Amino acid sequence: MSSPLLRGPRWADVRLHRGALWTGLGLVVLAAAVTGYLRWAAHAYPEPTGPCTSDGSCDTFLGFGSARTLLYEFLQNYSTGMLLIPVLIGAFVAGPVIGRELETGTHRLAWTQSQSPARWLVSKLTVFAVLSVAGGLALMAVFWVGRSGHEGMSDLIWADRGVYESIGPALVAYCLLGVMVGALVGLLVRRTLVALAAGGLITGLVLLGMGSVRWELFPVRTVSGPASGTRTSYTMHDIPVHSLIMDMGVHNTAGERFVAGQCSPGQMADFPCPSDTRVTGWYADVHPYSHFWYVQLIETAIVLALAAAALYAAFRVLRRRTV
Amino acid sequence: MTDTAIEAAALAMSYGRRGHALRDCSFRLPAGRICAVVGPNGAGKSTLLALAAGLLKPTGGALTVLGTDPATAREHVAYVAQDKPLYPQLSIADTLRLGAELNPGRWDTGLAERVVREGDLDPNLRVRTLSGGQRTRVALALALGKRAELLLLDEPMADLDPLARHQLMGTLMAEAAEHGTTVVMSSHIVGELAESCDHLLLVSGGRVRLGGGIDDLVSAHALVTGRRPVEDLAPHTVVESRATGRGLAALIRPDGPVGEGWDVEEPSLEELLLAHLRSPESPALLTPSTAPAGREREVTA
Repeated sequence: MSSPLLRGPRWADVRLHRGALWTGLGLVVLAAAVTGYLRWAAHAYPEPTGPCTSDGSCDTFLGFGSARTLLYEFLQNYSTGMLLIPVLIGAFVAGPVIGRELETGTHRLAWTQSQSPARWLVSKLTVFAVLSVAGGLALMAVFWVGRSGHEGMSDLIWADRGVYESIGPALVAYCLLGVMVGALVGLLVRRTLVALAAGGLITGLVLLGMGSVRWELFPVRTVSGPASGTRTSYTMHDIPVHSLIMDMGVHNTAGERFVAGQCSPGQMADFPCPSDTRVTGWYADVHPYSHFWYVQLIETAIVLALAAAALYAAFRVLRRRTV
Repeated sequence: MTDTAIEAAALAMSYGRRGHALRDCSFRLPAGRICAVVGPNGAGKSTLLALAAGLLKPTGGALTVLGTDPATAREHVAYVAQDKPLYPQLSIADTLRLGAELNPGRWDTGLAERVVREGDLDPNLRVRTLSGGQRTRVALALALGKRAELLLLDEPMADLDPLARHQLMGTLMAEAAEHGTTVVMSSHIVGELAESCDHLLLVSGGRVRLGGGIDDLVSAHALVTGRRPVEDLAPHTVVESRATGRGLAALIRPDGPVGEGWDVEEPSLEELLLAHLRSPESPALLTPSTAPAGREREVTA
């Protein structure tokens, strides 16, 4: 604890939250240990090749069909759990880090040493931003190691919520957003528990909201082809593998889109159907894997802009309260 | 270093709907004094100290601390809040380490540790296990260790037993005398202050009602009794008068010799303060050294 990086207010911030930081480190180590073990097990105990017999002689692993099944199950939950990281960071910074100081009055101790309130906040934001990003990156690295070689697994597609966040820079931006939103909420609310709840909630809502609009941020690629045969059957071999399909259906001569099964003659008019329902071709709006980085980077930029706005607002609130 | 520790000019602080804590508060505190800030609860004492410590932003007027604004003076000012905030999860030793880390270049480890040791406190104890008086001692150790030029102490002795109070006050006074530190401490216990302070600010209703050296303030007043009408005291400023068994008793600020038929005594500090607190409409008195620059004639009697 005597390195030059950990002097002055930074020493104070690390010392005050020592318990939480050890817990965070323990979480990363545990994640790495479990993932490492399951990777090893998936290799050492491959899936049974022969047919399973009814008396249970099938080669199982801890009650799962195989160690690989368990690995996939684990990684799927892991990727969902990664969504909680920014939420936990937002809650932690808002509640125990900032809100509790203002609630118990210890900020008056901190602000009357030889550092200004602005430096107090800068130090807290720096320490927790660096540690959050480091922790987030470590957990992402663990996930990357666990998933490498199994990217094609149907449960671990790049576009899945959780997986998408766990393998791109957007998660780092969300971690930073958690820190900045947490600071702003803590300064505004000044109550540990309320700030903790609000900080986590707001960060989570941004994460959830961005998750539902992120695929609108980049134009889809439309692939299409002529309908073949007399029925509305069509092939989709033109769709790149591992694409995220946003919309697909058929169209008529005029190019009007509709869903084939919903607009066959005799159907009730519950669906918007063109007058001419004769299928001449099929289409699909997709995000091929090559869009991953565009969407990640656009989302990262938006989230970082939100984080910067929260940071600016936090300093404005602090300036208004003190000199 | 300036010869003025604190100067307030028409200082005002209001807390939104909760109303004014200070209004048109003007005074000057010379450096090197041990100043008591007294007044009833809710008079604005804590607000005044927090403003001087740079914790609050005044809503009106100007405040100068050690010749500059409170934010710039922060490094040279130590402050102990009334509720003695400390981090409960830290040990005493870590609390002092915090003082060292946050005050690089000015921290006096020896002094801070001595203050803790004199209270027979184990440095490994966690702050959350300490009693109120022990917390006060650690908070004061943190403030003294900063080696500030101005010490702002809000009700510093309230939680201490008489022995600890006497001993800590001794340490405080010795340090202040040795380094020429200005000490400002608020209290509503007059006896606690009379023996250690040489300067007084009486705050009431958000204003400074009395300000100056304690001796000057006491000798500027007289307690008179006599069987004569109050109009007889006309040339003097009558702070308070009431009927007693021996006739009329009044606390006055004499302007020249008091006429025949009055017994004149010097009031005690307590009598002086109580008379002013009971008569909020009496004019304020700031001795020349305590009047803010340019306002001396206006406010002195």
